[in-house]
Amino acid sequence: MELTTPGVATLRRDLDQTARDAETADVALAASGDGRAFERLYRTHVARIHSLARRMTGEEHADDLTQDVFVRAWSKLSTFRAEAAFGTWLHRLAVNVILARRTTLGTERSRYDDSENVLDGVASRPHTAELSLDFEAALERLPDGARQVFVLHDIEGYRHEEIADLLGIVPGTSKSQLHHARMALRQHLE
Amino acid sequence: MSDTWTNRLSEYLDGDLPATERPALEAHLQGCGDCRTTLAQLRRVVARAQALDDRPPTADLWPAIARHVGVVSLDARRARRRLSFTVPQLAAAAVALALLSGGSAWLMLRRSPVSPASRPTTTRSPILTNVGTYEANPRYAAAVASLERVLAHGRSRLDTATVRVIEKNLGIIDRAIRDAQSALAADPANSYLNLHLAQEMRRKLELLRQAAALAGTRT
Repeated sequence: MELTTPGVATLRRDLDQTARDAETADVALAASGDGRAFERLYRTHVARIHSLARRMTGEEHADDLTQDVFVRAWSKLSTFRAEAAFGTWLHRLAVNVILARRTTLGTERSRYDDSENVLDGVASRPHTAELSLDFEAALERLPDGARQVFVLHDIEGYRHEEIADLLGIVPGTSKSQLHHARMALRQHLE
Repeated sequence: MSDTWTNRLSEYLDGDLPATERPALEAHLQGCGDCRTTLAQLRRVVARAQALDDRPPTADLWPAIARHVGVVSLDARRARRRLSFTVPQLAAAAVALALLSGGSAWLMLRRSPVSPASRPTTTRSPILTNVGTYEANPRYAAAVASLERVLAHGRSRLDTATVRVIEKNLGIIDRAIRDAQSALAADPANSYLNLHLAQEMRRKLELLRQAAALAGTRT
C-alpha cells in the first residue's frame, strides 16, 4: 500500500501491521533458539496469560502456571503454524496447561456441583464485605467449576460446546454453571 | 426471587434459549419486574467480565522461565559464536546509537528556548535533516549492506519459512520508512513522524542484525 494521503492514521495502521509481523518474526527467531525474541513474546503476552491463570485457579497458583505455560510454549514453538495469531495459539496452550494442572491441584472435587447452595458463600456475604470486594475478588471466590466456566465463556469467549469439550462435561452443565456464576457475581457489580 | 424462568435468563441473554421458548419467556418478562431486574443485572455482569483488564504478575517471572528453558546459556553460546559478525554488528549498533543521540539532541534543542537572533534561517530541524537523509548516510548504508551480505551468505542455512518471514518483514519496514519519508515531506516539522522514521530505521537494523546472527549461528 502506498501512502497517497500522508497522515498519522495511515502510519498507525502500518505500525499495527508491523507489530504483528514483528511478532511473527520473533516467533520464528525464538523457534530457532533466540532467547531475546522469546523474551519479547513473553513481555507482550504475560499479562493476558497470568490473568487467565489467576482467574481460573486463583492467585496462589498463577505465577507457577504462567511459568509452565511459557516453558511449554518454548518447547512447542516449532509446532506453531502461522495460520492463527501467536497470541491465540499461546492462549489455547495456556488453557490446556491450566486445565491439566487443575486435576493435580485436586480442584475437581466440587467442580460441577450443580446446586445453587455452592454459591451461597459468594452470594450472601455481609453487605459491608461485599462493598470491599471487587469483581475479580468475588470471581476468585466462586466454586472452581462455576468460575472456570464463567472465565472461559464470559471473559475468554469460548462457546458452551468448546467448554464442555475442554472440561469433560455436557453443554447443559456448562450453561447451568455459567448462570449460577453470573447470579452470584451480580451482587458484586459496584 | 425465583420462578420457573429465572434459571433460563442466561440462556435467553446469550441467545441460547430455544426459539420455541423465547415467546413464553418474553411474555413472562412483560409482567415480572423481578425477572427484568435480574436480566439487567446479568447483562451488566457480562459487560463487566468483558471489560476486565489483564494484570501482569507482581514479580517478573522471566528470569525463572529463562533458567528453565536455558536461554541464558544459549545466548552466551551465541554471543561467543557471533564473533565473525562483530564488525557489521558494531556498525549497526553505532548507527542505532547515533540515531538515538540525534533524537535526544533534537528533543533537547526543541525544548530549549531559542532567541530569534540565534534561530537558524532554515525551517528544518536538525534531526529532520539527520533522519530524512539517513538512508543516504554512508554509515547507515554500509551497516545495512554489511548485514545484508552476511544474511545473503548464510541464508541457505535458514529454513524457507524463516527466510520468508524475514523478507516479508524487511519489506514491511522498508515500506513504513518510505511512507514516513513521504509524510515528512508534507509535514517536515512533525516530531512524531521524525521519531517514527528513526524507530523504523532502528527496527530494520535490528531485524537485519538478528537475521544475520541467526544465519551465522546455524550449522
